[in-house]
Amino acid sequence: MRLADISKLALLVWLAVVIVAAFFYVHAAEGFIGESSRIVFFHVPMAWIAVLAFLVSCIASVMYLRRRDPKDDIRASVSAGLGLLFAVLATTTGAVFAKIMWGAYWNWDPRQTSITILLLIYAAYLALRGAVDDPERRASLSAVYAILAFVTVPFLVFVVPRIYWSLHPDTIINARGTNEFDSHYTQVLMASLLGFTGLYVWLYTIGCRIETIRQRRRQEVLDV
Amino acid sequence: MSDLMGIAVVTLMIWVGLFGYVYRLDRKVSRLED
Amino acid sequence: MWRWLSEALAVAGKDLRTEFRTRVALNSLGLFALTVLAAVSYTVGPYRIAVEDRPFLLAVLLWIVVFFAALAGLDRSFVKEEESHTAPLLRLAASPPAVWFGKLVYNLCLIYALMAILVPLYCILMGYKIVLLRAFVVILVLGGYTLAVVTTIIAAIIARAMTRGALFSVLSLPLLLPLMIFLIQGTTGASEGSAETVTNTIRAVLSMGGIMTIVSAVLFPVVWNE
Repeated sequence: MRLADISKLALLVWLAVVIVAAFFYVHAAEGFIGESSRIVFFHVPMAWIAVLAFLVSCIASVMYLRRRDPKDDIRASVSAGLGLLFAVLATTTGAVFAKIMWGAYWNWDPRQTSITILLLIYAAYLALRGAVDDPERRASLSAVYAILAFVTVPFLVFVVPRIYWSLHPDTIINARGTNEFDSHYTQVLMASLLGFTGLYVWLYTIGCRIETIRQRRRQEVLDV
Repeated sequence: MSDLMGIAVVTLMIWVGLFGYVYRLDRKVSRLED
Repeated sequence: MWRWLSEALAVAGKDLRTEFRTRVALNSLGLFALTVLAAVSYTVGPYRIAVEDRPFLLAVLLWIVVFFAALAGLDRSFVKEEESHTAPLLRLAASPPAVWFGKLVYNLCLIYALMAILVPLYCILMGYKIVLLRAFVVILVLGGYTLAVVTTIIAAIIARAMTRGALFSVLSLPLLLPLMIFLIQGTTGASEGSAETVTNTIRAVLSMGGIMTIVSAVLFPVVWNE
């Protein structure tokens, strides 16, 4: 118990420090209009978590199809819900950033297109879950869909951006292999990534616990 | 500069508020589990 | 090995024959496509779009019509089994891979039939000039195939769900959007004569089609037996 509480407190402090550092420790980066580079400290981790959550959901789906453990289905659906949340956040922060940098909230550049499609995948996954009553069938069908969707994602993420001219700034580690930004920037960005991952893990465990309780309750009602 | 300060403070407040909410949720779930 | 194939073709044959008799899917597909084509041709026509924009915009419109026509008609293959309660019989009569492949062949026939009529008509009515004609045909064939593969497995999924209709489109679109983007880009390239774009597209669609084929073949038994 004590360790869990300490780590949650650590998360609080960690991300609070990251927020402060994002605004005061780092100079606004060159090549970005005004202070807009600071949004990146939040936008990139959110997008990363949206993808990570999707990965977790798909792995849980594969596990479910293999061993038919209801816990895996819980993991898949909880992670999908969180993924949707972070995808929405990533899209919003990205749109704000796009407005500042390029004057329009939405450009349909490949990265924006990719995150939209990820959003659609999450929404479709949750719609499918909502459409099936039988728990086992719901779990199997959504597991299949998650895997199908996962297979499409590499095309989104890697192929579509390369084919299209992109407004999006190059990935932080660009083709030359050197960092575009100074070391302060990278430090805060990495710290933010770590913090957000911690947040995701915490939310994920809470979600799984809630769902397990809900299922246990439902089972108790049926047993009576 | 003060704009930046303002945004920083708001973001911090949002984070602390969010943390508090999730922490309370965590405690409630723990109680339900036992 | 051959038994599997003959089972699959039997399934496809049965579906095609039924379809020919009732023409439900053909009507959905065909009516939708022709109506939209008429509307677009009438309002936009061959002259309204500036010459330099034509390769791209006409590609976009073409694939929108094809994709939405597909979404209108391709879920029939599994939904009608559920509706007419012949699904359990089919489960007993044929092995899952055979059912999957048979349904895929059926959907392929529908899509290619649609394309065979729609695409030439579209090019004529809209004045769509294609420089790299052979590449264009390859793109059509590969794109139609991948479209059929994805819609087949999704149709199988939604047939097992409570609600139909909208769910088919909702589930298919996120998976089909990347494909659509590739196909639009490739068709634009074929129209302009840009060989590099076309090769990239063909490579991308080929790999996507291949991967989706393998994944849906593996996952289909799970859906079918659920």
